Amino acid sequence: MTDSSPRSSAPADQTAANTQGIKIVGFLCNWCSYGGADTAGVCRFKQPTDLRIVRIPCTGRMDPLFVAKSLIYGMDGVLVSGCHPRDCHYAVGNFYARRRMEALKLFLPFMGIDTRRFRYTWVSASEGQQWQKVVTEFSEEIHRLGPNPGVGPRSGENSKISNGLR
Amino acid sequence: MLETDRIQLHKLVEEALPELDMMIGWTESCDPLQTTPVFIRDAKLISKLTLGPFCSQNLAGYLVKPPALESVPKDAKPIGICVKGCDSRSLVALIQEKFISRDRVRIFGIPCRGTIDWRKVAQRVGLSDVKSATVEDDFLVIDASGTTHRIGLEDVLARKCLGCRYPNPIIQDVLVGQVATPRSSSLETTYRDVDALDNKPIEERLAFWQSELDRCIRCYACRNACPLCVCQDKCIAETREPRWLTQRVGLPEKFLFHFIHAMHLAGRCTGCGECERVCPMDIPVTLIKEKLNKIMEEMLGYSAGLDPDGVPPLLTFNPGETEI
Ligand code: SF4
Ligand code: SF4
Ligand code: FES
Repeated sequence: MTDSSPRSSAPADQTAANTQGIKIVGFLCNWCSYGGADTAGVCRFKQPTDLRIVRIPCTGRMDPLFVAKSLIYGMDGVLVSGCHPRDCHYAVGNFYARRRMEALKLFLPFMGIDTRRFRYTWVSASEGQQWQKVVTEFSEEIHRLGPNPGVGPRSGENSKISNGLR
Repeated sequence: MLETDRIQLHKLVEEALPELDMMIGWTESCDPLQTTPVFIRDAKLISKLTLGPFCSQNLAGYLVKPPALESVPKDAKPIGICVKGCDSRSLVALIQEKFISRDRVRIFGIPCRGTIDWRKVAQRVGLSDVKSATVEDDFLVIDASGTTHRIGLEDVLARKCLGCRYPNPIIQDVLVGQVATPRSSSLETTYRDVDALDNKPIEERLAFWQSELDRCIRCYACRNACPLCVCQDKCIAETREPRWLTQRVGLPEKFLFHFIHAMHLAGRCTGCGECERVCPMDIPVTLIKEKLNKIMEEMLGYSAGLDPDGVPPLLTFNPGETEI
C-alpha cells in the first residue's frame, strides 16, 4: 500500500518518539494531491512518516465508507485530499465528494467516533508546501489525540460489553 | 369514523379493481395489535381490506423487491397500493430514482393518525391473551385476560409517529378519509431523540451504540424491510467481491454494517421507521438514519420523498456551495 507512495522520497522524521504506532491513511486523488505529495517529496520537504497513502483516481471515487471502515477498524486518522473545487480533472468529482465527506464528518460524532480523526482538504499538484503543511498539521493533531480507541473489540477478543438479550 | 373510512376504501377499491393488476393493502391478522399485508386480485377479498392505527407496515417495498414488479409484464395494468403519509414518501423516493413509474401505481392515500408500536404495548400490559384492541380518541383500549386497559396514545405510538410532519400522503390518486393534523411541525420535535443523544458526551454516545449494536445479529431484516434498500443480493454487506464485511461477529462488523445502511440511505431515507420496526433485537436502527436526515435538512435543505421531480442531494452537486 505504501511502497509506491511519494513520501518514500522524503526524508523521514524519526525524531518524534510518539510517532511509533500511529497510523494515518491518506486517500489522495491521482491528479492533484498525489502530485502535490510527490512535489513535496521531490523538494525534500520534511514530512511526518505515519501517513499511508492510497491513490484514488479522483475524490469522486471516494466512498465515505472508506473513511468509516478505516476508523471503525482502528486507523488513527484519515485524510482525504483532492483537486481544488473547479479544478477536478473530471470536472465535477470533488463537487460530489465534498457533500459526502461533509455529511460523514457531521455524522461520525453521533456514533461516538471523534470527527477530528477525519479531515478532507484540497491540494493541487504544484502545492508541495501546502501539502507539507496539511499533512504535518493533521499528523500533529492525531498525535495529540493519541491512538484510536475504536468501537469495540473484534470478534474473538473479550467483550466487556454485556451481550445478548435485554 | 374508522368504519366509515373502511367502507369508503372498499368502495373505491371495488370501483378500481377491474383496471388494476392487483391491490396491495392491509388486513386483520391473528394478533389484534398488528395487521398483515394482503394482495388482492379477487373482488371477493376486498371486504378484508382494513386501515387504521394497526397498519404499521410500509407496503411500498413490495413494489420493488423481488419477486414483485419484475414478474409483472411491463404492459400489465397498474398496481393499487394503500399508503399512509410516511409510506407515500417512500413511493415518491422510488419514483424519483426511477425504480417505479408513476403510471404503474394507483395510489390509495390514507391520512394517518399514528400507528401503534406493539412492543410499547407489550411493555405495559404484556402480550398474553390480548382479545381486542381499539383506539378511542387519545387512548388505546385493550381487552386482555379479562381486564380492560386504557393507555394514552402518546405512550404506545411508534417513535416515528410522535415526530411525524407528514401524516397526509404526498401523492395519491384518491384520498381515503379525512385529512390529519401533523403531530410535529418543527425540526426540534421531529429530531428530539437525535438531539437527546447528541447532547450527551461523545463517550456516552459511543457506549450507547456499543451496547445497542452489540445485540445486532446481522440478520439484515432492517435492510430487507427498507423500501429504499434496493440492491438486495448485490448488497456490499454480503458480496465477496468487493469484500467489505466478514462473517465475524465483533462490534466493528456491526458498526460497519450500520454505517453501510446509513450512508447508502443518506439523503434518500424518508424516515419510514421500517428498519426499526422489524428489528428482532429491538435496536433503534432508524435513529441512526434520523441523524443523517437531520444533517441533510440542515446542511442542504433537503428532506427525502417530498418531491417526485427532486434529486437526492448526494447524487448531485452545486458548484456554488462554498461553505462546505
Ligand atoms: S434487523 Fe436488527 S438485528 Fe437484524 S441486522 Fe438489523 S439491526 Fe441487526
Ligand atoms: S432506512 Fe429505515 S427509515 Fe429509512 S427508508 Fe429505510 S426502512 Fe425507512
Ligand atoms: S481528479 Fe482530483 S478531485 Fe477529481
